[in-house]
Amino acid sequence: MTELSHVLGDPEVCTGCMICVNVCSMFYFKVIGPEWARARVIRLENGLDFPLFCRNCEDAPCMAACPVGAITRTSKGILVVNNRKCDSCGACVTACPYDAIHLTPDTRKAVKCIQCGECVKRCPVHAIFLTSAADLSKRDPEGRLMRLHDRHSAELYDGGERL
Amino acid sequence: MHGVGGQVIWVDLTKGQVEKRPLEEEIVRDYLLGVGYLSRVLTDEIGAERDPFSPGNVLGIATGLLTGSMFPQSSRFTIAALSPLTDIWGESHAAGFWGPELKLAGYDAVFFRGASASPVYLHIEDSEVNLHDAEQVWGMGVFQTDDILRKRHGRMTRVLSIGQAGENLVRFAAIMNDRDRASARSGLGAVMGAKKLKAVSVRGHGKITVAHPEVYLTEMDEFYRRMLANPFTPGRAKYGTTHLIELMQHIGRLPSYNMRQGVFEGYDRIGGDAINECYLVKPRADWSCLQRCGRFTAVRTGPYAYQGGSPEFESQSSLGSRCGNANLESILYAHHLSNMYGLDTISLGGTISWAMEAWEQGLITSEDTGGIDLTWGNHESIVKLTRMIALREGFGDLLAEGSARAAVRIGRGSDRFVMAVKKQEMAGQEPRAQKSMGLAAATAARGADHLYGFPVLDEVGFDDDIRERFGEKYLPEMADRLNPKYKGIMVKECEDFMVMIESVGLCKYGTQIPPEFYYDDVAKALRLHNGLEVTPAQIQLIGERIVNLNRLFNARRGITRRDDSLPRRLTDEPAPNGPSAGQTVELEQMLDEYYACRGWDLVSGLPLKSTLERLGLSKDALN
Repeated sequence: MTELSHVLGDPEVCTGCMICVNVCSMFYFKVIGPEWARARVIRLENGLDFPLFCRNCEDAPCMAACPVGAITRTSKGILVVNNRKCDSCGACVTACPYDAIHLTPDTRKAVKCIQCGECVKRCPVHAIFLTSAADLSKRDPEGRLMRLHDRHSAELYDGGERL
Repeated sequence: MHGVGGQVIWVDLTKGQVEKRPLEEEIVRDYLLGVGYLSRVLTDEIGAERDPFSPGNVLGIATGLLTGSMFPQSSRFTIAALSPLTDIWGESHAAGFWGPELKLAGYDAVFFRGASASPVYLHIEDSEVNLHDAEQVWGMGVFQTDDILRKRHGRMTRVLSIGQAGENLVRFAAIMNDRDRASARSGLGAVMGAKKLKAVSVRGHGKITVAHPEVYLTEMDEFYRRMLANPFTPGRAKYGTTHLIELMQHIGRLPSYNMRQGVFEGYDRIGGDAINECYLVKPRADWSCLQRCGRFTAVRTGPYAYQGGSPEFESQSSLGSRCGNANLESILYAHHLSNMYGLDTISLGGTISWAMEAWEQGLITSEDTGGIDLTWGNHESIVKLTRMIALREGFGDLLAEGSARAAVRIGRGSDRFVMAVKKQEMAGQEPRAQKSMGLAAATAARGADHLYGFPVLDEVGFDDDIRERFGEKYLPEMADRLNPKYKGIMVKECEDFMVMIESVGLCKYGTQIPPEFYYDDVAKALRLHNGLEVTPAQIQLIGERIVNLNRLFNARRGITRRDDSLPRRLTDEPAPNGPSAGQTVELEQMLDEYYACRGWDLVSGLPLKSTLERLGLSKDALN
């Protein structure tokens, strides 16, 4: 099986500028609007800025929760939403532990990061990158990044309620 | 029009009423948005007889046309009102995320008239705009107010508020947003305090549409590439503005000991390297910012422990060298307290350093201060006074009036040591070491000010940019910071450009220093983002129109050439030491050139009739 990859950000490097978020909404929806973006950025009061993306989970709770089979995994291992099938029920939104999938305000279709790399190549401080479990263990052998994400999970994820 | 919310909020605090109006596109055509829009609306709204603390004062907050865009450094917004510090035109600006959020909620500006009987705050959430009781947060600092309002309205809510200083009508109280971004100058926090308006919180779930979406991203890619490739960017990212301490020491422009001199023996202990070595956590940016001069710092232990937004050059010099203070942790901490209480650190340090020099001269004694020792560099006193000023306790109550008013109250000749123009304390540019900064401080609409004109092209040799913007014939004199020649021409050009930049919501970093983006780039961005078809010459004229309108606002309140002055020390006493030793500011010579170039009368300093006609301001002419 293809190794699953996903975009990850370094909260100690990210400056919180929102460029990744704006690139995303502009690239896909031709507007500037965080509610249209597939990425989020959350600034915490301790100086950390978290750029947040779909983790492309192996067990894919969003896919399991979708009652109409609108979420599938591509041959490259990326979870994608079929717009025609999505009936806007929001079950995937509730199922995602990372608030990484949501319904856009106007189309009400589920959207999520599909690892296109448009934001990655434009991040002015190189705080975000495409990675996989194997790549991450080489890049960050001490586990600093996931530890930071885990430690602040209560402030970053709110069970489908976009903060 | 694209790139705008399209609506303006008017709040009558006396009546407790909120009204939404469509954005007047005819004003935008002549003044853009931001400070230009506020200049037009407030000049019409605020009569010459009004008192800054009266309900008749109108406070306006406006985003620029590019605020919330993807242009580099496009987070900014402007706040304006009659200033309680200067009694004339007051304006201040900040970055952060509050401005873009207002756009995302569907609005471009908010105005407040009247005054509430009890504390209130305005919460804007898309189409819902309501005044709320603020009793729970009144009396609280900025961080706590932010915590409580974001808990109430959602973590992603962006909060703009005053701290205790604004509530207590400290005449140099700031308005803060996103915790540590400050609209600090002109004392507008006290206007909010007088109106019993604690905060304006915003949450927008909407979108900003752009005029040319098909090419938008690729065009922005090119602006990003240029910004990141600019030779200034790596240094800015590494130091923000903190390293200016070292640079200004090098050219003798670091205000020290109440601007008695331009060099400070302890400079290396308060500079950028000292901050990076021990206290920098990381650089932080605001919306669409590639320069990332914002810093997050922490002092981990001791009496000055904190974590939060970091001082930049102005706070370092104001609370440091200006007060003879080389204790960096105290500077960082006093800055942190200023963010929490909502104080302008420039006026804070300027006022304390005035008191310190008056103390040294024996004009202020421990009887006046209630036992506080004001010896140069007494950092414990600086920190203590920061709190006492914000809360108007003891001697702090006097200093809360600003140095000019405090000197009148103290008397005894202490006004000799007031380093202010039009009652506002000068910022961190010792003008004897850079003449253009002296002229800019004298002519700026909001009183002493380095940012209204921000003439930095002669600071560190931007000869090529001077050649490009002005022409070969002005070199080498214009690029020589000690030569008064052509500085009137330079300051005029810079003022027009900078007010235009404040009207579109961009930062002075990336436009003026480093001088990467100029009129042609802004005109292009306005076309791409807003669909506005304007030429560089047209927006240059708009800048000039705004400066003239600000001048007329002040002229109605009695301002003339006589007020475009500098403290005697700077024009009459040669700089005593350092690289600029022996220099004075040749102000009158520069003013003559400036007025001539502006089309203003050389005697009164007021716009000539022909100038007002050319700018379409005839109806604003004084009788």
